[in-house]
Amino acid sequence: MAFNRSPGRPRGAPPGDSDAEQFARAALSHVDSLYGTALRLTRRAADAEDLVQDTYLKAFRSSHQFERGTNLKAWLFTILHNTFRNMRRHDGRNPVEVDSDAVDRAAADIDGAQSPEQILARGTLDADLQAALDALPDAFRQAVWLRDVEELSYAEMAKVLDIPIGTVMSRISRGRRALFEALQRTRGTAEQRVASR
Amino acid sequence: MTDDIRRCADLDERLAPYVDGESTPDARRSIDAHLAACPPCRKHAESESAAREIVQQHRPMLRAAAPESLRARCSALSNLQSIPILNQQSSVANQSSIANRQSPIRRWLPLSLAATVLLAVVGVFLFGLNDRVEALAASLAIDHVKCFKTTNRASTADSGEAAAHWQKDQGWPITVPQTEPSEQLRLVDVRRCISTNGRAAHMMYTWRGAPLSVYVLQGEAGADRVVDRMGREAVIWCANRRTYAVVADGHPQDLSHIVDYMKSRVQ
Repeated sequence: MAFNRSPGRPRGAPPGDSDAEQFARAALSHVDSLYGTALRLTRRAADAEDLVQDTYLKAFRSSHQFERGTNLKAWLFTILHNTFRNMRRHDGRNPVEVDSDAVDRAAADIDGAQSPEQILARGTLDADLQAALDALPDAFRQAVWLRDVEELSYAEMAKVLDIPIGTVMSRISRGRRALFEALQRTRGTAEQRVASR
Repeated sequence: MTDDIRRCADLDERLAPYVDGESTPDARRSIDAHLAACPPCRKHAESESAAREIVQQHRPMLRAAAPESLRARCSALSNLQSIPILNQQSSVANQSSIANRQSPIRRWLPLSLAATVLLAVVGVFLFGLNDRVEALAASLAIDHVKCFKTTNRASTADSGEAAAHWQKDQGWPITVPQTEPSEQLRLVDVRRCISTNGRAAHMMYTWRGAPLSVYVLQGEAGADRVVDRMGREAVIWCANRRTYAVVADGHPQDLSHIVDYMKSRVQ
């Protein structure tokens, strides 16, 4: 059995649950992560959905290539990034639309228990962070995203991004620094807005 | 030593693991030595650490939920594909841990706590990192919340063992005040404080049943201060080339009593 240590059926699994179904279920549990990452790569919801769908298609076709015991999410991310690189190579498009939906969602996601100052501070910071991340050069954004949001190891990232591990570490470092500097530049504006309340 | 830093450029591939707390002890020592002597690199390390903290704290907001229609389409794909039956045994532990590891914060962090942590990060931001003491207090407040959330408060640690452990692992000594029933003070654990890149020792106590943190950092952060901004009181003082901080939940009536108690015992 691929996803079950004992030869028996996993607890709670419906009758007829095959290895293929278990693999599919495990893979599909990462759909949010893949979609979020795809959005950061393509910056367009429609493109992100296509990318995720392509990724699953390839993943299901080549599930036998997945090394059991390794990180399934990292494996899916590798397919996603390869697919994205191919997609770019082929259509030569370079989508630059900012995901304004995500910014709107962040602004709408406000905890009613907070004071206006807190709401403003939080909303501002969320939007600033989204904008600063989106403005990072692709290589840096991917590095910071995979490390600090998706929690991949350096070795997993080296595979996903197809670059040496030293380059991974360097990009994480430079990406974080660039992000911080971008946020610092917007901080002055945030303070002014809070002060004007 | 192979890890000596000769030029600032030597840090390029090493700061990320350093900030992530994944450097080897040798590498960490070399980097610490370089940072102590090189303010620009120190600023880089601090900026990167702050960015890391901010992004990590905002994971739930940054992540996107896949639209239901996409979920359904991908699920349908799995039924269309013929997937080879896999016969080999595999480690389920690793597989299932992926899902469990994915997002501990989103999984169990109650909203109120998430808001507190967020507020602390906002604090670091709005009040500026120019003031190192403010930034330190915010960072410690975050760590205080996180550590007590992930630790069984009912456990008790031995102060002598914990101090010996720390000296062995970290290479510098700390004095760990012991459990004192007459003060209703109990030592829960001693660990590296991740919010400060592992540079601080975090002594976790319960005092009168509530979480109380005592931090020790090498070097002096600046003037002695009481920082009260994140809904938590942080009392910070310096002595003997160390910086100490006590962080308590809320504003206990006589925090100064336990601060004095700690002052007399940690130095």
